[in-house]
Amino acid sequence: MELYNFTATELSDMLKEKKVSAAEITKAFTDRIDAVDDKINAFVTVTKDLALAKAEEVDKKLAAGEALSDLAGIPIAIKDNICTKDILTTCSSKMLSEFVPPYNATVIEKLNSLDYVPLGKVNMDEFAMGSSCETSYFKKTSNPHNTEYVPGGSSGGSAACVSAGEAPLSLGSDTGGSIRLPSAYCGVVGLKPTYSSVSRYGLIAFASSLDQIGPIGRSVSDVAMLYSAICGKDNKDATTANREYADFKADLSADIKGKVIGLPKEYFSDGISDEVKKNVMSASKVLEENGAVLKEISLPSTDFALNAYYIISSAEASSNLARFDGVKYGFRAKDYNSLTEMYENTRSEGFGDEVKRRILLGTFVLSSGYYDAYYKKAKLLQQRILKEFSGEFTSCDVILTPTAPDTAFKIGENFGDPLKMYAADICTTTVNIAGLPAISLPCGKGANGMPIGMQLIGNKFSEQNLLNTAYCYEKAVGEFNTVASIK
Amino acid sequence: MSASDYEIVVGLEVHAELNTKSKIYCSCNNKFGLEVNTQCCPVCMGMPGTLPTLNEKVVEYAIKMGHALNCSINRICKQDRKNYFYPDLPKAYQISQFDIPLCENGYVDILVDGVEKRIGVTRIHIEEDAGKLLHSNNFDGSLVDFNRCGVPLIEIVSEPDFRSSADAKAYLETIKSILQYIDISDCKMQEGSIRCDVNVSVMKKGSSEFGTRVEMKNINSFSGAVRAIEYEANRQMKVLDEGGEITQETRRWDDAKGENVLLRSKEDAHDYRYFPEPDLLTIVLEEDYVNALKDTIPELPNKKLLRYTSEYGLKQNDAGLIVESVDKSTFFEKAVSLNKCSPKAVCNWILGDITKYLNETHKELSDIMLTPEKLAELISMIESGKISNAAAKQAFEVLVTEDKEPLEVVEQKGLLQISDDSELEQIVNKVMSENSKSIEDYKNGKTNALGYLTGQCMKATKGQGNPSKMKEMILKFIENS
Amino acid sequence: MKVDIMHIAKLSRLKIEEEQIPKFEKDVENILSMVQNLPELDDNGALIDPDNPMTLREDKAEQNFKRDELLKNAPATKAGCVVVPKVVE
Repeated sequence: MELYNFTATELSDMLKEKKVSAAEITKAFTDRIDAVDDKINAFVTVTKDLALAKAEEVDKKLAAGEALSDLAGIPIAIKDNICTKDILTTCSSKMLSEFVPPYNATVIEKLNSLDYVPLGKVNMDEFAMGSSCETSYFKKTSNPHNTEYVPGGSSGGSAACVSAGEAPLSLGSDTGGSIRLPSAYCGVVGLKPTYSSVSRYGLIAFASSLDQIGPIGRSVSDVAMLYSAICGKDNKDATTANREYADFKADLSADIKGKVIGLPKEYFSDGISDEVKKNVMSASKVLEENGAVLKEISLPSTDFALNAYYIISSAEASSNLARFDGVKYGFRAKDYNSLTEMYENTRSEGFGDEVKRRILLGTFVLSSGYYDAYYKKAKLLQQRILKEFSGEFTSCDVILTPTAPDTAFKIGENFGDPLKMYAADICTTTVNIAGLPAISLPCGKGANGMPIGMQLIGNKFSEQNLLNTAYCYEKAVGEFNTVASIK
Repeated sequence: MSASDYEIVVGLEVHAELNTKSKIYCSCNNKFGLEVNTQCCPVCMGMPGTLPTLNEKVVEYAIKMGHALNCSINRICKQDRKNYFYPDLPKAYQISQFDIPLCENGYVDILVDGVEKRIGVTRIHIEEDAGKLLHSNNFDGSLVDFNRCGVPLIEIVSEPDFRSSADAKAYLETIKSILQYIDISDCKMQEGSIRCDVNVSVMKKGSSEFGTRVEMKNINSFSGAVRAIEYEANRQMKVLDEGGEITQETRRWDDAKGENVLLRSKEDAHDYRYFPEPDLLTIVLEEDYVNALKDTIPELPNKKLLRYTSEYGLKQNDAGLIVESVDKSTFFEKAVSLNKCSPKAVCNWILGDITKYLNETHKELSDIMLTPEKLAELISMIESGKISNAAAKQAFEVLVTEDKEPLEVVEQKGLLQISDDSELEQIVNKVMSENSKSIEDYKNGKTNALGYLTGQCMKATKGQGNPSKMKEMILKFIENS
Repeated sequence: MKVDIMHIAKLSRLKIEEEQIPKFEKDVENILSMVQNLPELDDNGALIDPDNPMTLREDKAEQNFKRDELLKNAPATKAGCVVVPKVVE
């Protein structure tokens, strides 16, 4: 079997047992990228030389008998909105098409200290705004299960490259479903951690109060391993929680006997396709057969969550993206006769339409006379949604829902129709609004052959619980870690 | 109508840079005057993905100012984003405080022409400073220096309680001296570390309804504030007299030209789109912490001013000059506390010879060898007649540079006055008997003969005779002769 | 809900071409009509969370970045500064 077919956990073990070298592992993935990425278009930047140099360093350390971390020598692809020192970081936008940060994101510092191998930067919707990876300035990434289909977004490159075997692991970011939706569409495992558990320092902000970096892999164990590596208090991010975290991979257990799994009826309503409902319900039966107790619950504010999400995220984005003004870094328009013209031309030429839409919406809901009716109301609603979840978590351990209302759609099918596009997020945005952790994992395929994803939502900081439930399902259905056969 | 038919209403917003070691939201040096763009980092330059972390000293200093201005402290408060585009604002928003400032509802007592006046303080909030734009005539563009980005500021907003430019000036001076007393700002006007915006309106005397207010920006000195207020008030009175209306607007003060121009009308007013800063959590302060800071506030200059005038009988002007410097008032109080000499004399010495010396040598009070104890000793020697004023000045020259006791210097330089009556009388009698002609002259109405006689006596005592005593003795001798 | 897209664009420093105005106007209005459907809520809550207080940073200065490094992404520089069109205000 080719090396790129193995999971990160397997590769890590093989490396420690000296069955393979880090250089061989890295070479296997860069070869795979060379072979398939012209079809998948997941990578914006491949750092081949850097990856090989890092791999060789790891091999030297291993030869010298140094004790290394589980992630040492493991290639990881990084979403292109996470700052990497001296490596192009574009946010898939013309605005940052030449931006080379002089600093690393905290998650990159953490991975560096664990001797990871930086494989490159992967494609996304521009500034993480989108559900299809089609708003990238550079290229449209394809779904490895069928290249005519979108990989989902915004972390489309992160999910597609893992699904296609171009990387064993990747980092994505999730503001309203941007890790989970592409994970579901591409048939991989993606974790959106509890807000405040992973530092956002160096993550180019979309919506500060909702953004969270998280891992994508082809097994629960891989995802647990990468999450353990990146979580923790960071003095550079005032919003990170001051707490200690367990070793999520070491503590994995498939024993879920007696765990109560809530099935909220609002997530199995008319907006959800029948095949998705059917597959998620069968998955719940698998969990039940393994000792879990199913319970129907209700989260009545769910209907408003998407509304609150678009108000809050656009408002914050309009402010976060104001810094892209052509002054200090990034794109600057060629023609202008005044400062105002430089601002307007730069921002109009540098941003795509989806980004402009959200900036306009966000500016509107914060503008004089509308703040109370929109922004403030959405924030108050956020508190109510959180309360509702907390109430359910007094009697449930985990909540099970579909990740997306349907399987992946075709490239171009919804492009330019914001309302259709936004509908893909109805199952995921609530989780960000409430700051909760959630994991998406594959649960079968639709009639079109495209993967279906299910979502497990947990209470704050209950990632171990989520991972264990996912792990139990993974074991019960047999591994779902096979690399997609690219069509 | 004439100017005396109107009443001026003024409110002030003072921005003061805090003298913390690091900036408000990053660990860059908080230093003025260094080479352009060398005191910056990705955070204060607003680079993508960077995040702010709030400096604890900024909160502490702002609370201290809150206590000094009798404010209530909001132990639970937040920070907000104020959104606007400008090249000196790298994030395109300023992190500030909007609806819940750290301190609010305070007041400060000021002294205007000997009358005490209470000015309301609406609020004090913390925020970050912006960078600087540099212009040059031989270059078609502006340059941006980000060194000042993220320098911590407090904004002190007053109630519209001023009724004259003199009120405003007294307030500004009081605020400045308080900032220096509690040592939270360098208050260097020329470095822009304290700046103010002014709101001015006028109303008919006796009216209870304020006129439409006009905001003025770009005021860089206290004297500039006085000029700007007077100019704007006159402009408004003229408009009203001509039957016009005042419109709510922002005007820019040009100190060199001594006039202001329209910057933006109400319609063009910025829509700052304030919202809670999502990168920072709620500020929650323990009651004990806030109270403990109250105990660190010393007696403040405005209170000292009142005490110096009433208790020590100093003139308001003199008291003001002592009080405006922490060093001088500490020196003054120490010297006075020894009860060796009159407070007025101490004040005169500090404002006279000492200040002159400091100015000439560009030294600080703490740099000189003269201590409050030694000054009190020197003055007490004058007051008890042991030395003359002129001798004291000679001794002072030594005492500022050398670590010596006043008595030691006076003795070494032979400056002690002969105040022993019998010794003086002997000398006077001798001189008088040798100058009978001058005595005759004096008796014949040539009063300047007295000066000659005194001079001769002084010469005989080698300058050490107590002049007033000798004069007394000379007159007595003449009377008896 | 009617939106003055030109006013909002001006606030956002975005230039919307004449022919694009109707499209953006419709898009934003459609999204607004979707999101304005919010339930009535008690409007007295302040947007603060005292149960989750912030840890403040110690006041310690450190300088880790060189000017060249910080300005390397700037579109135009001169004399160690970023260059912008002449500012009049």
